[in-house]
Amino acid sequence: MSTVRTATRPVDPVGPRSPAAHRRGPGVARRREGTAAYLFLSPWLLGLMAITAIPMVLSLYLSFTNYDVLTPLSEVQWVGWDNYREMFTTDPSYWHAVTVTVSFALIAVPLKLAAALGVALLLNRSFRSVGLFRGLFYLPSLLGGSVALAIVWVNMFNRDGAFNSFLALFGIEGAPWVNDPHWALETLMVLAIWQFGAPMVIFLAGLKQVPNELYEAASVDGAGNWRKFRFITLPMLSPVIFFNLVLETIHGFQGFTAAFVLSNGTGGPVDSTLMYTLDLYIKGFVELNMGYASAMAWVFLVAIGLITVVLFRTGRFWVHYSDAEEH
Amino acid sequence: MHPTTTPAAVARTTRGHRTASSTNPIRHTGRRRLLAAALAVPLLLGAAACGGDSGDSGKTELSIFWWGAEGRAALTDQALALYTKKHPDVTFKKTWQANQGYFDKLATLTAGGNAPDVFQIDDNFIAEYAARNVTLDLTPYKDSGKLDVSKFPESLWKYGVVDGKLAGAAFGENTQGLVYNKTLLDKFKLPAPTTGMSWADFITWAENVSKTSKVPGTMDPSASYQAFWLWLKQQGKDLYAGNQIGFTEQDVAAWFELWKGARDRGATPTPDVIHEGNATDISKQLVVTGKAATSWVWANQMPELKKNTKDELGVIAYPGKPGSQWARASMYLSVSRSSKHKDTAVDVINFLENDPEAGKILGTDRGLPSNLEIRKLVADSVTDPNMKQTITFENELGKTFGPAPAVPVKGHSKVRSELVRVAEEVEYGRMTPAAGATAFVVAAKAAIGQS
Repeated sequence: MSTVRTATRPVDPVGPRSPAAHRRGPGVARRREGTAAYLFLSPWLLGLMAITAIPMVLSLYLSFTNYDVLTPLSEVQWVGWDNYREMFTTDPSYWHAVTVTVSFALIAVPLKLAAALGVALLLNRSFRSVGLFRGLFYLPSLLGGSVALAIVWVNMFNRDGAFNSFLALFGIEGAPWVNDPHWALETLMVLAIWQFGAPMVIFLAGLKQVPNELYEAASVDGAGNWRKFRFITLPMLSPVIFFNLVLETIHGFQGFTAAFVLSNGTGGPVDSTLMYTLDLYIKGFVELNMGYASAMAWVFLVAIGLITVVLFRTGRFWVHYSDAEEH
Repeated sequence: MHPTTTPAAVARTTRGHRTASSTNPIRHTGRRRLLAAALAVPLLLGAAACGGDSGDSGKTELSIFWWGAEGRAALTDQALALYTKKHPDVTFKKTWQANQGYFDKLATLTAGGNAPDVFQIDDNFIAEYAARNVTLDLTPYKDSGKLDVSKFPESLWKYGVVDGKLAGAAFGENTQGLVYNKTLLDKFKLPAPTTGMSWADFITWAENVSKTSKVPGTMDPSASYQAFWLWLKQQGKDLYAGNQIGFTEQDVAAWFELWKGARDRGATPTPDVIHEGNATDISKQLVVTGKAATSWVWANQMPELKKNTKDELGVIAYPGKPGSQWARASMYLSVSRSSKHKDTAVDVINFLENDPEAGKILGTDRGLPSNLEIRKLVADSVTDPNMKQTITFENELGKTFGPAPAVPVKGHSKVRSELVRVAEEVEYGRMTPAAGATAFVVAAKAAIGQS
């Protein structure tokens, strides 16, 4: 318990922890439990080593080589920082892919969180069949990342798709959305936002943790709904908001499936949906420039790491932990 | 691919699991046993995943990998079964999948040291594989007659030569084919386009179709490399000249201008629809989705296109001088250089290419059979009217075929995707034809490593 506790402390989604965790002190029995825990984790740990860690280290090595997939590993040539240099200076598609990805994340992530929080607030009341509604709103996320969903999206948002038929009811002539370089990325953003179920459920859990007394006290003081939201809900929920923000930002940067399906793996029309990960895939698996693609992956990892660090730093100013005052 | 898990390993693994999870670990089992169990589970899983059957007794299992649809799989299965019938000690491990993702998988299999013994490949990638020595040089087999190409048109088998090595045996022949919607044209009493029309006449014809039928007369082929290539050849240029590009900025600009004119006159659909048609899937070609009256494809794809539409289709040559078209290998069969059964693999290819019975089974699914005698045999026995039409068309055109160009150079697939990107920039009006031409020449040179 104790190790888990410190590890997730800043982003604990469930809010205040049970008092039991505080009562038990460290001891021999607990340490033994820890060893057992690692033993039980070992199938996963070994899997992590074999499937994640070793390939990661290998890809770091490959990022300094000209590995092209088809040539045996033993014959690759060390090229030093060439891949990284090419990325930042000569590759015409690289910065374009960065721009596409950043604008995707900057717009889709906040809107998705807002949608999740809004719906969570609505569903936090008790009315009949609230469970059904929660289920319905969560449904799109269950289909998350799925290829089928992306295909449906493509068919809904092309020139003679369902969305334009709907617009036609109001006499509006829609764009060819997914096939229009001006709108293709926006269509992907809408798809991402629509799948707000996962953060919504976490928000709901967070909302349940806010003590009712606070609202009651505020009501007595004559606070309206907005003030209650602004001065009770938001601060009390801030750790959960933070958690969702970090998670969704990382998730947002990694968007791949929908862009891949929508563009048949090309990032089109005219590179408008060329997300970073898609560009990486094309470089590595289509153009067989695996060394370069590995370098891209490492820059991506570092960039996401830095963004997360920045989020954590700024989090200090607006995230309130209810147990912070206790110490 | 990993061989299948052996039953014994599964049983052991499950038991290992049970000891580890069903009893309280700390009290009932010693820590050491627990550690052993915990370590054993993943190790066994790993061992089960990697252990292959190495005991072979004169029997050969040959792995073979191709792309295609179910129909092709059924035909290939039959032909391979026939081989096994004649050579009972050779069996096949067959893997097939749709074209999309095929080359990703082939590359990863190769990287993992599991390249299939025999695999299908096309001219977009053959140079990539040959240049990296993945494919076995078939020249000695050709010379010794173990791979018999004597009945192939010479230009066809030579289309498999990369850097002086025979990297693959042409497994079917095709050529550019312009497929049009007969039903639509008949409905509006419009004339069918004909082989030998000039490009200008064709565009005027398409404009007329658009006006009369309200269906755009033609797909815009400015992003189609085979249309661009043919057009270049008719201008006395080429897509590649050795390891260089064989065209200039002016050529590209003229090509883009030609189609900008066609778009402005309403001969083609709007850019978003053209973008849809630029997908390589057969089922998305505009002539079958009803969004244009003609599509620019390969002639052997006509029967497959027909499966996606109720309308009658016709096929003619691309515009301009038809003699500029050439016999292209629609695909090749190659042998992996790391194969442990090279001779058998070559023998299988030889069988699929030259055995009359196998030829009859395979038909024209992969293009016209490379072996001219088999081709005649198949042409006489084929019943599908669309296949018949394709064969007639290709035989007719074959009389005037010019010499085939060399196989596209390494980097060709990137050149293709760059052409699509830049052509679409021009179609959407985000670049002028001149600016597009500059961009494409730069991108194409970079793609093939030309300084």
